[in-house]
Amino acid sequence: MNVSNRKCIRRLSIASFKAAKIRNIITVAAIALTTILFTVLFTVGMSMKSGFEQSNFRMVGGYSHSSFKYLTKEEFEELKDDPLIQKYGKRIFCGMPTKEPFQKSHVEVSYCDANVAKWMFLEPKEGRLPREGTNEAATDEKVLSLLGVEPVIGNEFTMTFMVDGTETTETFTLCGWWEYDEVIPANQVLIPESRTQEIFQKLNTQGKDGMTGTLNMDVMFKNASHIADNMITVLERHGYQTEGRDQGDNYIQIGVNWGYTSAQFENSLDITTVLALIAVVLLIIFTGYLIIYNIFQISVSNDVRFYGLLKTIGTTGRQIKRIISLQAFLLSVPGILLGLLLGYGAGVIMTGIVVAQLDGIVLTYSVSPVIFVGAALFSLVTVWLSCRKPRRMAAKISPVEAVRYTESSMKMSKIRHSPNKSKNPQKGASIFRMAMANLGRNRSKTVVTVISMSFAVVVLNLTFTVANGFDMDKYLSEMVAADFITAEAPYFLPTTYNKVGVLPEEAIAQIEALDGVKGGRTYQKNFAAEELVTKELIQKQQGQWDSPENVARYIEQLEKVGDLYLERVQLYGMEDFVLDKLRVVEGDISKLKEGGNYVAAVYAEDDYGNLHEDYNWAKLGDQVTIRYVEEYEYFNPDTGEIYAEDEDLSNKRYGTKAKVYEDKVYEVAALVVVPARLTYRYYGADEFVMGAETFIQDSGTSEVMYYAFDCEDDQVESVERWMQDFAGGEDSPYAYESRKKEEEEFNDFRNMFMMVGSGAAFIVGMVGILNFLNAILTAIIARKREFAVLQSVGMTGKQLNQMLITEGMVFAGSSIVITLILTVVMGPLASSVLEGMFWFFSYRFTVTPILLIAPVFLVIGAVIPFVSYHYVAKRSVVERLREAE
Amino acid sequence: MTILQTKELKKVYGSGESEVRALDGVNLTVEKGEFVAVVGTSGSGKSTLLHMLGGLDRPTSGSVTVDGKEIFTLKDEELTIFRRRKIGFIFQNYNLVPVLNVYENILLPVQLDGGAPDKAYIEDIIDTLGLTSKLNNLSNNLSGGQQQRVAIARALASKPAIILADEPTGNLDSKTSQDVLSLLKVTGQKFSQTIVMITHNEAIAQLADRIIRIEDGCVRSTSK
Repeated sequence: MNVSNRKCIRRLSIASFKAAKIRNIITVAAIALTTILFTVLFTVGMSMKSGFEQSNFRMVGGYSHSSFKYLTKEEFEELKDDPLIQKYGKRIFCGMPTKEPFQKSHVEVSYCDANVAKWMFLEPKEGRLPREGTNEAATDEKVLSLLGVEPVIGNEFTMTFMVDGTETTETFTLCGWWEYDEVIPANQVLIPESRTQEIFQKLNTQGKDGMTGTLNMDVMFKNASHIADNMITVLERHGYQTEGRDQGDNYIQIGVNWGYTSAQFENSLDITTVLALIAVVLLIIFTGYLIIYNIFQISVSNDVRFYGLLKTIGTTGRQIKRIISLQAFLLSVPGILLGLLLGYGAGVIMTGIVVAQLDGIVLTYSVSPVIFVGAALFSLVTVWLSCRKPRRMAAKISPVEAVRYTESSMKMSKIRHSPNKSKNPQKGASIFRMAMANLGRNRSKTVVTVISMSFAVVVLNLTFTVANGFDMDKYLSEMVAADFITAEAPYFLPTTYNKVGVLPEEAIAQIEALDGVKGGRTYQKNFAAEELVTKELIQKQQGQWDSPENVARYIEQLEKVGDLYLERVQLYGMEDFVLDKLRVVEGDISKLKEGGNYVAAVYAEDDYGNLHEDYNWAKLGDQVTIRYVEEYEYFNPDTGEIYAEDEDLSNKRYGTKAKVYEDKVYEVAALVVVPARLTYRYYGADEFVMGAETFIQDSGTSEVMYYAFDCEDDQVESVERWMQDFAGGEDSPYAYESRKKEEEEFNDFRNMFMMVGSGAAFIVGMVGILNFLNAILTAIIARKREFAVLQSVGMTGKQLNQMLITEGMVFAGSSIVITLILTVVMGPLASSVLEGMFWFFSYRFTVTPILLIAPVFLVIGAVIPFVSYHYVAKRSVVERLREAE
Repeated sequence: MTILQTKELKKVYGSGESEVRALDGVNLTVEKGEFVAVVGTSGSGKSTLLHMLGGLDRPTSGSVTVDGKEIFTLKDEELTIFRRRKIGFIFQNYNLVPVLNVYENILLPVQLDGGAPDKAYIEDIIDTLGLTSKLNNLSNNLSGGQQQRVAIARALASKPAIILADEPTGNLDSKTSQDVLSLLKVTGQKFSQTIVMITHNEAIAQLADRIIRIEDGCVRSTSK
C-alpha cells in the first residue's frame, strides 16, 4: 500500500477523533483507571520484591556480590584488577569489644573503604567516613548510645576491644554516624586504614586467629548470575584454589552473598501466588476490556453511517481499521500517563499498608522502570484487545447498508415493533415496554454494561466476605496461649537465631506481685544438651533441606556412641501453668508435674490442626537418653584424633565431642504440641518438655526463656497498662505479647484486606459507573432526533424522562440481581478456596455490601438519564428534528 | 467506446415465498461521455441497479464491466480500491464527511488512494462549481445545494471512468435542483465524464442524453 495515504488517514482519524469529545473523555478516564490498577499491582509487587531483597541484604550485612577472604596485601593487589571484577572494596578487620557495655552486642572495629561502607549500608547520615592519618572513627547510633556518647561530630569516645586475643583501649574522634538498623547483624566502628596498622604494630599482632590483619576484598561482578563460578574463574586465572587448605598453600576462602542466591524473591513465589497474580492481571484486563470494548463498540455502531460513507467513497477495511487504531492510541497516551501518575501514588500507599502486615520485609518504594513500562504495556494490550472487535465490525460495514441506514429515517422502527407486535398488538406502547425494547437494540452494549457494573459489586462483596470471614476467635484460640507472655526482647524478634535472652527473676517477681496474676515459667536449654539418635533419622531430617554430601559431612563431625550419634536437642522446663497450655496428643502430662524421669516429646501441627507425624521420632513409652555436656573437646573427623586444647582450628575441619558430661534416661510420658507462641520460635532440633523441677535438677540451669501468665478479666486493662510501662518501651530490655496485642494485629491484618479490597472495588466500581454513564449518554445523544420525533407525535417530556429513567433502573436492577445470583452460586466455591488459604477463615454468607450498594446504583441509574436528557432537551423539538440531517 | 456494460444482471433477495427479484436480467451499455438517466418508480429496482454498477453490492448472477474490467471478479478490498479510482458517487443525501472541511472532502478519494492531487484540475472543478469561497467551511454548515456541489466536485476529483448519481436532487427544492443538474451536466461535458443518474423525476430525466426506463427489475425502454 502507498505510504502517502497515511497522512490522509491520520487526518481523518484526528478529525473524527475531535468530534467525539464525550467519548474521548470517558475513554481516557477508563484507560487511566485500568492503568491505575496495573500500576498499583506492579508498584506493590516490585516494592515487595526489592524490600525482600533489601531485608536479605541487611540480614547478610551487605549487598556486594561476594568476597575473597583473609588475603595478604600481595594477593589483594593481584586479584583486584581481574577483568571479571567490576568494582572492589577493601576491608581490614581489627577487633571486637566483648566487655561492658558491649557484652550483649556484636560490634566490630575495622577499616572499610568507601565502596565497602556503601555496600554494607554504613553511610553516615551526618558527617563522613574517617580520613587516613587521623584518629577519626564513624559508627552507628546504638554503639554511641551504649558508650553514652551524644551523636555529635567531633565528640571523643574511648573503647576497649580485643585484637587477636590482646586487649587494647583506643580513643577516637567521631567524624560520622548513621542510624542503627536492628536487622543488620553486627554494629560497625570504622577507623582509617592507617589506624589499624598503628594498632597492629603497637600490639605486635600476628594474626593467630587467621582473620585479624588480613584483607577482605568485597567485589561486584557485572551481574548477580554465576557469582560462585566467576569467583573460581578469577582465582584459577591467578593460580589459586578454594577447594581446601589441605589442597595446597594457594588456598583462598571465598564467600558468596546468599542474599543473591538462596532466598530470591522469585524462588519464594509458590505456584499459588503465581496463579493468584495471573488471576489478578486477568481480572484487571477483563475490567478494562469491559469498558473500553463497550465504548468503542458503541462509538462504532453510532458511527455506522460515517464508516459506510467512507467505504462508499473508497476507504478500504484496512484503512478504517487504521483510523480506529490510531484513535485508540491517541486516547491511550493521556490515559496511560494519567494512570501511571495516580497509580504510582496509590501504589506507594498500598505498599505501606501491605508491608506493615508482613514480617521480615523492609519498607522500600521501588522506582524500577519495570513498574511503568509493565503497567503501560499491559494497559496497551488491554486497549488493543478491547478495540479488536469494534475495529473488525467497522471494517466490515457494507456500504449499501450504510446507505440504507440513512435512507430509512428511523433506523429503529423495525426493531421497535418486534416486542409489541409479537403477542398483544392491541395493548399499544407502554413506557416500560418501550424502555425494554430500547435496551434490546444493542444487546451487547446492555450485557457488557450490566456485567461491568456487577463486577464491581462482586469484588466488593468478595472483599467483605474475606474480611468478615477472618475469624478472630479461631485466630486467637490458636495464637494466644496466655493473656500475657513476656521475655527478653530478642526472644520476640523474628530473625534472631541464637536467643540468649534470659528473663531475670526480679522481673518475674514484679509481675507476680500484681493483683490476680497467675502464671508460670519456661526454662530453656538449647545447647550442650544432646540426644542419641540413629544415622537414618539424621539423614531423613537433614536431608529435607541439605544435599546428601553435606549431610554425610555433617554426620562425620558428630560424636558417635556405638551405632548411634549424638545430636543437639532443645529442652523446655515448664512449670505447671505452662504445661496446662500444651495440647496433649497422646499420654498424660501429669507425670511431668510430679517430677519423675519423664519427658513429653514435642510434635507440631499445621495451621489446620493436622499433626506432623514425622516431627519427632519418639513415641509413647520410648526411652530418651539426654547427654548434658559440661565441657567439649575437638576432634579431627578424618582421623578421629583429638586436637590439643590450644590448637588453632580456624582452618581445620573439626568435630565436637563431650569431654565432661552426664547422661540421663527418660521415659516419654506424652506426645504434645506446644502452642506456637510458647515455643523457642525457631526450629533446629528435636524438642522435649520436662517438668520444671526435673529440668533444673538435671540440666543444672535455670534460665527463664519466658514467663506466661493469665489474669482476672477485670484486671486485663490495668495489667496491660502496667506491662506497657514495664516491657513496652523501646528502651526496656523486655518485650511482651498479649491477647490485646494479638487482637490488634489481627484487626490490622483484616483492615489491610478491607483497604486493599475496597480500593480495588472502588476503582472497579468507577469503571462500572463510567461504563453505565457512557452507555446512557451515547444512547441519548444518538437518539436526539428520535426523541424529537417521539415528542412531535405527542410524547410528553415527562413520559420521555420516565422511559429513560426506566432504562437506567433496569441497568442498575439487573446488575444487582446478577450479583446476588453470583454471590449465592459462587459462595460455597469461594469459601472452600478461602478456607484453604487462611486457616482462620470461616465462611459466612453475606449480601450486606450488595444491599448497601443497591440504592446507590438505583439512584445513579435514575439520575444519569435524567441529567443527560435535560442536556439534550435544551433545544426545541423543531431544531432537533432538522439537525439530524 | 463502451465504458459500462451489464450482462444478464440479476439480484434476488430472500427465497421461497418471500423471494424478491430486484433485478431480473438487466442488459445495458453506456458509451464514454454519455449522460444517461435511469428512471423508474419506487421499488422498480433502480437503486439496486446503481449499487451493482458501483460495486457497492454483489449481484446474484450476471456481470458488470467498467472500463474493460469485470468488477465482480475482484475481491472486496480490490473492489473498494477499484471503486475509488474508477467510480465517482453522488448521493441524494450528499454523504459528505462532517468532520472535514469542503476542500478536504473533495480531495478525500484522491488522498485515500495515496495519489497526489492534480491541483490545477481540482481548482478548475472548484471554480466551475462556484465553491472557491467555501473551501474552509465544514460541510454541515452549507446549504443542501452547496453540499451537493461539493459532492459533485468530490466525484470528479479522482477523474473516474464513470459518475453514478443516486437521486442527486431528491433533497433539493426545484430551483436548486435545476442549478445543480445544470452544473452536473456542464461539468460532465467540460471534463468529458460519463454520468449515470437515477431519478424518479421525468422532468429532470429530460436533461439527460438518453433515458433508460426500468420496471420490475427489467429494462423496459430506452429513448433519446
